[in-house]
Amino acid sequence: MAGIVLYNYELDENCYKVRLALSMLGLKWEPIAVNAFPGNEQTTPPFLAMNPLGTLPILKDGDLTLFGAEAILAHLARSNDPTDKWLPAEGADFAGVMQWLVFSAGALAVAGEARRSSLFDTPGDGEALQASAGKLLRIMDDHMIARGYEGLDWFAAGHPTIADIALFPAFALSRDFGIDHDEYAGLRRWGRRVRSLPGFVTMPGIPDYY
Amino acid sequence: MTTAGVWHPVALSASIEPGSSAGTHIDGKEFVVWRDNSGAPHMWEDRCPHRGMKLSFGFVRGDHIACLYHGWQYDTAGQCRYIPAHPELDVPGSIRVPVFQTVEVAGMIWVATEPTESAPPAPQETGETVSVRSVFFGAAIDAVLAAIETTPPRPFSGEAAASVLRQIDGRLYALTVGSDTLLLGLHSLSGERTALHVVIAGPAARYSGKGQAHFLAWTAELRHRIETQPAAAVAA
Ligand code: FES
Repeated sequence: MAGIVLYNYELDENCYKVRLALSMLGLKWEPIAVNAFPGNEQTTPPFLAMNPLGTLPILKDGDLTLFGAEAILAHLARSNDPTDKWLPAEGADFAGVMQWLVFSAGALAVAGEARRSSLFDTPGDGEALQASAGKLLRIMDDHMIARGYEGLDWFAAGHPTIADIALFPAFALSRDFGIDHDEYAGLRRWGRRVRSLPGFVTMPGIPDYY
Repeated sequence: MTTAGVWHPVALSASIEPGSSAGTHIDGKEFVVWRDNSGAPHMWEDRCPHRGMKLSFGFVRGDHIACLYHGWQYDTAGQCRYIPAHPELDVPGSIRVPVFQTVEVAGMIWVATEPTESAPPAPQETGETVSVRSVFFGAAIDAVLAAIETTPPRPFSGEAAASVLRQIDGRLYALTVGSDTLLLGLHSLSGERTALHVVIAGPAARYSGKGQAHFLAWTAELRHRIETQPAAAVAA
């Protein structure tokens, strides 16, 4: 199949990262709906052949098959954004984007686990997951408060990057796992700026204000 | 005249941008703090009269708050003005959200939780302030005050110096180290959770950027101390 195809589950926050990036980059793409809940279809052999981890999202772009939301964001930005803004090519901006992408794919994954535990009742200690997720949001909030002192609105550069896209769902969906936005002034401010970017789209659990 | 028990700091002025809202608590009760598009602050009960959903989940449109759930809109007096399901309806005056008196002092939004004639706290250090942040602790106000005394900041400028913590009025404190003064608003979210609203008393020309970052690092240190030391050790 030519063009961009996303194996997608509407309620998955990692799929949402990719949908956000596709929309903000103004790309044409085609979704293939995956029955992740309750079917767990992504863990069946045809999907494991594309992603042995059995997770979503999976992206096909021409001959390329890719899994992992952050890698997909990097690929989409590098191959479709000639200005190199979404994924800066070098220097501190590049390094900052890498740091926050790794944070998003690594430590922050616990926010996704907390959310799945509360929405779909997956195994795990819901309260412990919520507490760990809260601490990670706090790390993000501390960072954005410090950025504010420099007059900077975004996580990694003087403009939005794929780091902002990757980090947004954990904060925007935190009420799904019982964490309110009250104590995260730095993230509230940043979240409003993300929402006002051209191409911004919502997903279930993120209210469409206008 | 003391303002304790009446006037509470609920947010840094800078944290509530025009056209935005946030939920908060005072002694366990839920409130929504918001700023209309003209910049005026408001605090209401965080409960929509329709079905009781949280208004802080809604959004600000001009000088109205619209509830997220069914779009009922309330004006700055808390009066419901518009019900989307009944656009022609002249909304009865009885559909109203309880609103509270607010003022902005010392770079913070202060709220009177009951009707009062008492004046809000007035810091002697009137004049310019530079916000640092609001920081949250799983501890009561007394434990936070004790931790502030045992873990004071270093001065931003000049040599290390002894710190002096002084209650200005009610929930407003001044913490002086060397030639720097922080104004601290102590906000009881519940019996075991406290917000500390921190601003620097002084000119932006001197403190913005590096000075803010200096005192931000102190708030992180204070939070670390409260979270890693047993309550008794902090209070000792
Ligand atoms: S609960 Fe607010 S409009 Fe229905």
